[in-house]
Amino acid sequence: MHRIVEVVLLVMLAAPAALFAAVAIPAGCRRPLPERWTALLTRSAMLTSFVASLVLLFAYGRTGARTREISYGAWFSSGHGQFALEFVIDGHSLGFAVLATAVCGIVAAFSTRYLHRETGFDRYFMQFSLFALGIMLVALAGSIELLFAGWELLGLSSTLLVGFFHERRAAVENALRVFAVYRASDAAMLSAAVLLHHWAGSGTLSDVFAGNTAALGITGGQALVIALLLLVAVAGKSALLPFSGWLPRAMEGPTPSSAVYYGALSIHAGCFLLLRAQSLFAESIAAQVLAALVGAATAVYASLAGRAQSDVKSALAYASLAQVGVIVVEIACGFTTLAFLHIVGHASFRLLQLLSAPNILHDLRELEDRLGERVTPSGRAVVGAWQRGLYVFALERGFVDALLDRCVVAPFRRIARAFDRCDRLLCGEGWGTRARQDRRSP
Amino acid sequence: MTARLAVAAVLFAAPLVVVAAARLDLATEKLRRIAVLAGAAMSLAALVLLAWTDDGCHRFLAGTPLLRVDGFTAVLLPIPAVTWLATVAVTPRSRLDRAGLSRTAWTTLGTTAAFATRDPWLLWLLWSASTVAFLSSLARPETLHARGVAAAYLLSSVVLLGVGVGLVFGVGERVSWAREVGLWTMVVAILIRKGIFPLHAWVPHEFERGRLGPSVLFSAPQLGSYAFAVLVFPHATPAMLRTVAVLSLVTAVYGAAVAVCQRDARRACGYLFVSQSALVLAGLEGTSPEAIAGALVVWLASAVAFTGIARCILVLEVRRGRLALTTFHGGYEQFPHLATSFLGFGLACIGFPGTLGFAGEELLVQGTVGAFPLLGFAVVVASALTGFTVLRMYFSFFCGRRVTGSMKPLLSHELLVFGALAVFLVAAGLLPERLVSSRLTAAHALLEQRTQGAARCP
Repeated sequence: MHRIVEVVLLVMLAAPAALFAAVAIPAGCRRPLPERWTALLTRSAMLTSFVASLVLLFAYGRTGARTREISYGAWFSSGHGQFALEFVIDGHSLGFAVLATAVCGIVAAFSTRYLHRETGFDRYFMQFSLFALGIMLVALAGSIELLFAGWELLGLSSTLLVGFFHERRAAVENALRVFAVYRASDAAMLSAAVLLHHWAGSGTLSDVFAGNTAALGITGGQALVIALLLLVAVAGKSALLPFSGWLPRAMEGPTPSSAVYYGALSIHAGCFLLLRAQSLFAESIAAQVLAALVGAATAVYASLAGRAQSDVKSALAYASLAQVGVIVVEIACGFTTLAFLHIVGHASFRLLQLLSAPNILHDLRELEDRLGERVTPSGRAVVGAWQRGLYVFALERGFVDALLDRCVVAPFRRIARAFDRCDRLLCGEGWGTRARQDRRSP
Repeated sequence: MTARLAVAAVLFAAPLVVVAAARLDLATEKLRRIAVLAGAAMSLAALVLLAWTDDGCHRFLAGTPLLRVDGFTAVLLPIPAVTWLATVAVTPRSRLDRAGLSRTAWTTLGTTAAFATRDPWLLWLLWSASTVAFLSSLARPETLHARGVAAAYLLSSVVLLGVGVGLVFGVGERVSWAREVGLWTMVVAILIRKGIFPLHAWVPHEFERGRLGPSVLFSAPQLGSYAFAVLVFPHATPAMLRTVAVLSLVTAVYGAAVAVCQRDARRACGYLFVSQSALVLAGLEGTSPEAIAGALVVWLASAVAFTGIARCILVLEVRRGRLALTTFHGGYEQFPHLATSFLGFGLACIGFPGTLGFAGEELLVQGTVGAFPLLGFAVVVASALTGFTVLRMYFSFFCGRRVTGSMKPLLSHELLVFGALAVFLVAAGLLPERLVSSRLTAAHALLEQRTQGAARCP
């Protein structure tokens, strides 16, 4: 049985990787596949992954074991340890993997029609296959290095898909903004990985996921530091405060990618990681309280901001974020099963909403035809001063981006440019000329 | 041994063939074709030697420290070869001349010879020769200012290294103070050549105001790191190593941070190079096998990736003029392969999973954090900032607006070189085990030499 599980898991992971190779290699050789071939390969790969995940779930159910580790040896070895190709199979990881493969399959089928004859059809599916591989690695990784690899794949594919319509300036600018937050998130994740490796002597996650932090041999303080770094990583990836500003910007991408990233899977990847690492948080009440506060603040913020959005994708993005905030609170309070069910239910529901978003005007017209009257939004007029303030706050999305720009980006830029001017001065270039250029440029 | 000697001979014969051909009355384009073939043969030979080199040390000229290859140097030999190949293959026809082709061949030969020796005086001689070759490439009127700045920094590094070698290996055994003073002098020379803070300003200046091709050919192999590893590392005091490591880590963050706000693509590239080369030096001082092995892998990955990035910029500049990062240039649809290759090179620089940089950076971070628990995270910060700059450059060069009108497409040999470099970075990144394990052995050997206190072949 163990051998079968190994093979099936390999098939599940290899399918999106093979899809990437099958689309990228012909494109690289200037012989891109015809659209129907790309579509067929994509559907086949996603179906294979989905079936494999179901088989895995069935096999796991039959054995009755709680947690199972599957290792394919070392990717490469270092002096004190090795970077293991190790996976952990348990109820949570398999459940999330099945959800991921199902969602990827649905979105792949939807995308082949939605992007029909779109320039960059094969580029979309290359990036989508990287995403599928990344989310499966995040779901099933048994070592923190693999988890980090999946995390990075999610970030890059997400950024490239936000900038998918690369001839639009706004799409590219927003993609860069999204990537900036992802880099901060990745840095936190890498730091957590390094510290875990450094303190525990190994990057294996099975003890962390099984709630057996004592076996890792790390102290409570060390667990707190790793937990806080993970919280930063999760906040970046799941758009929790103070990183929430990137979420509406990410809606520049094609609707199917928005659905899979910011409605269904990517935005929940952070929550899933938090859920898996709950035992680390349980080591410290401070970390739990902080996570709960961040989650609650995000939920309130997103509920407010979502109410003032004028486009359906942004409104849905904030609605997703509000639920993500609630999920984080649930995890911080230790309700992991509830949080997991919440993730699955919310991802499925939001996927449906986002995929049907392009049809909303069509649906509205049909509804009005059937009702025989116009459908007008209900609600009362805003009257009070505090309500007006709240409205401005919501409309400006909580001034989150402006605050980050003023408190982080602008000082950073000023300092970096001052250093640059010093360097120029050392090379005999005029200080004044460059300073004037700095003032002129945005 | 005979087969190894034959392969090693190709490394030295290939540039000499081009130097000899440059003396004949051949057309420049024909000479370039010869240089491309020679570069390809040399790269192949270097990669074969890398694959063949086991944990031992091979001296091809018995009884001398010349032409020796071990696990440490084997990973460095492909760097000058690949850099040279990319330079001659991707240089635009309008900028090609016989003297330039001959000079690049000499530079490559000198760097390769430097990597194959541990004799301090010979190394100093080759260090000086490469400096002179680089300065002579900046003789054009528009690069005279850059030449002046480079000369001020690099000639002082030549003098300091000469003094240091003389003090350590000449009178160091007899005079007690000479050894430590000599080592510090050599360290300053290396910091200048590598562009370590606060002696780094000339590097971005050369990239911006000088000639990008010769700058990369001169800087990418990182002769300074090699000199540090063979001349300083075995004899350095812990305080010396610590000082240089701290400066390197500061430089890694500094370079990456200043690159973020650059407006000129070349200058941004220069700062990124400063950051990456500082990471290599930081790893070499980590005094743990992981850090040293990571530094060696990052050394190879960043050299290849930077060569690719610089050539991409040159190819685009030929078609569009000087590239500013304050605007979007668009044109992805016209150069999809170039865009993809550029992204691949950039991702290899930041240690993205699936590229060679990933294995190197993982080891480097582990080793550096082990040695410097807090400051070691500078590697993580530098990597995050570098990632942002790389993507900013990618979007600026290829996205953001629709480009109408025709533009000269990439030539097939340009495509081939970019594809080969990208494939190498990805293939080595997907299967890094052999490369990493032999670098770990090399790192142990280097540490052993440090224990023995002499740069002897293990």
